[in-house]
Amino acid sequence: MSDLVDSMLDLMRRLPPTRTEENVAALINICPDYADDLLGSVDQPLQLKTDRTTGREYLACDYNRDGESYRSPWSNEYDPPLDDGTVPTPKLRKLEIAANEAFDTYRELYYEGGVSSVYLWDLDEGGFAGVVLLKKIMTPASPNEPSGSWDSIHVFETSERGRQAHYKLTSTIMLHLVTRKSSEGEGDRPSNERKGIEGLKRDGEVSLSGSMTRQSEQDWPIHDGSSHITNTGRMIEEMEIKMRNLLQEVYFGKTRDIVYDLRSIDDLEKARRQKELQKELVGFIKR
Amino acid sequence: MDAEERVQAAANFLLQSPPGEINDVLNDVRNIISDDDLLQDGILPALKEYNLVQFITVDVPGQKHQTIVSDAAKVPSLFEGEERFLDPRSKTSFAFDHIGLEASEPQAVEPDPEAEPFRVALEGAILTHLSSHYYDGVATVFAKPGTAQQFIIQLVANKYNPTNFWSGRWRSQYDIDLEEKSVTGKIQVNVHYYEQGNVQLATTHDVSFLLPTAVLESSSNSAASKIIALIGGEEDRYQQSLNSSYQEMGEKTFKGLRRALPLTRQKIDWDKVTGYKLGAELSSSKALFSNS
Repeated sequence: MSDLVDSMLDLMRRLPPTRTEENVAALINICPDYADDLLGSVDQPLQLKTDRTTGREYLACDYNRDGESYRSPWSNEYDPPLDDGTVPTPKLRKLEIAANEAFDTYRELYYEGGVSSVYLWDLDEGGFAGVVLLKKIMTPASPNEPSGSWDSIHVFETSERGRQAHYKLTSTIMLHLVTRKSSEGEGDRPSNERKGIEGLKRDGEVSLSGSMTRQSEQDWPIHDGSSHITNTGRMIEEMEIKMRNLLQEVYFGKTRDIVYDLRSIDDLEKARRQKELQKELVGFIKR
Repeated sequence: MDAEERVQAAANFLLQSPPGEINDVLNDVRNIISDDDLLQDGILPALKEYNLVQFITVDVPGQKHQTIVSDAAKVPSLFEGEERFLDPRSKTSFAFDHIGLEASEPQAVEPDPEAEPFRVALEGAILTHLSSHYYDGVATVFAKPGTAQQFIIQLVANKYNPTNFWSGRWRSQYDIDLEEKSVTGKIQVNVHYYEQGNVQLATTHDVSFLLPTAVLESSSNSAASKIIALIGGEEDRYQQSLNSSYQEMGEKTFKGLRRALPLTRQKIDWDKVTGYKLGAELSSSKALFSNS
């Protein structure tokens, strides 16, 4: 019944992104049999966890979950502890450690903060897959400062063909931005802009939130074990640059344009009259 | 999950529908719940609530204009369970189908003679404001029953563009109290952009102010247009302040979350990232870039 999953995904594409977790939980309650399909295809905000061994923060999602426990990329241990939790083969774990180091550098250079985690797993049909996670939260210094969060989820699959590897990358970025405004916070601004208006009080919130997903498939040469890291690194860096531009366009361009398609600050009647006048004038000159 | 909880969950989804997408959400919900008999009765209250809260507009029978279906438009009914809405502009009440979104059974309604002149004056002024600042909007002015001193102005503008995967809605409501000389307003804007994603703008803006005595001392037409001018000015200012919110979020938050490029303005040299032993040994990030 892929039809049902399609309906769930269509629904999630329409409901407010700020309520994704609550709505996914409701859908799982309605159709418990489809929990795995849903959790595997709807991206949810990444959870921050702290590695008990190293004290370092890591990111939790469906890909490092086993039952109720999450595996840390730093210590390779599950929390709460699991004796038989799934872990990568020693060879893949070695690559995972190196990938975590590389993307931690990437995180520092582009995010200047935040947390990153990389998880790898072997595929039954050969090759391996992985997920690169990045998250940064900005908390406001004062109530009227904007706040926000950025979650990147890059899932990739790779298969080697001789000295080439084929990569399939699916990237989702979730971005939430909120600004609160109240007249209390405008205290330093003289309120003489609206002369004669007494008792003026304002209070409001602007929230821009959502997610966008893009895919990419590429072939890259492989020289040694670390080639997979440089290859996926280049692909993810390129994808994030592309998607950051896209997000900027949609968040700050598109949604703002739609507001201006609803309402105009300039007097539309005046513009209409001017157009009429111009038409008349043109008609007059032609005569 | 029992039947009641399933209906509750379905209702909750419907109430979250973006502008103009209630039917799409309803189709998804029908498929997910797959029990039309259960939904048929169960979700009507949610559809009703959605319509009233979202200022759904309807063609008034026998008229060329639309009116807003909302709580303010409800008229006291003669029979229990009967629900009728008022279009004050044509002085018509009507029954409303919350699923088909159509009005029927129009009846003439006698307005409160004391409140009507000022209501008409406000209506004229808000309709002028509407055509001056909205591309496709509907505005309705209600007189609060039982008092000639309180009026409610509601305004809604929608644009649905499913072919290009977006929709938008602007809602404003202003409660005017001539006795208290006050205006209390709320503006809400919702935008949904869903081409290969799901991005939503949701804003709320509460505003209140006192009416200058001079405004109320003028004739009712002049007072009404002055009140609407104050409201229009506040709406313009709000729309402008949205621009500054956009700028602030773009300049501060967006850039603060992730840089467009690293400090060195160059992409990462991945061969060096994996070649170097990272961490403490790496004193400067510059070492990661070629030619630097």
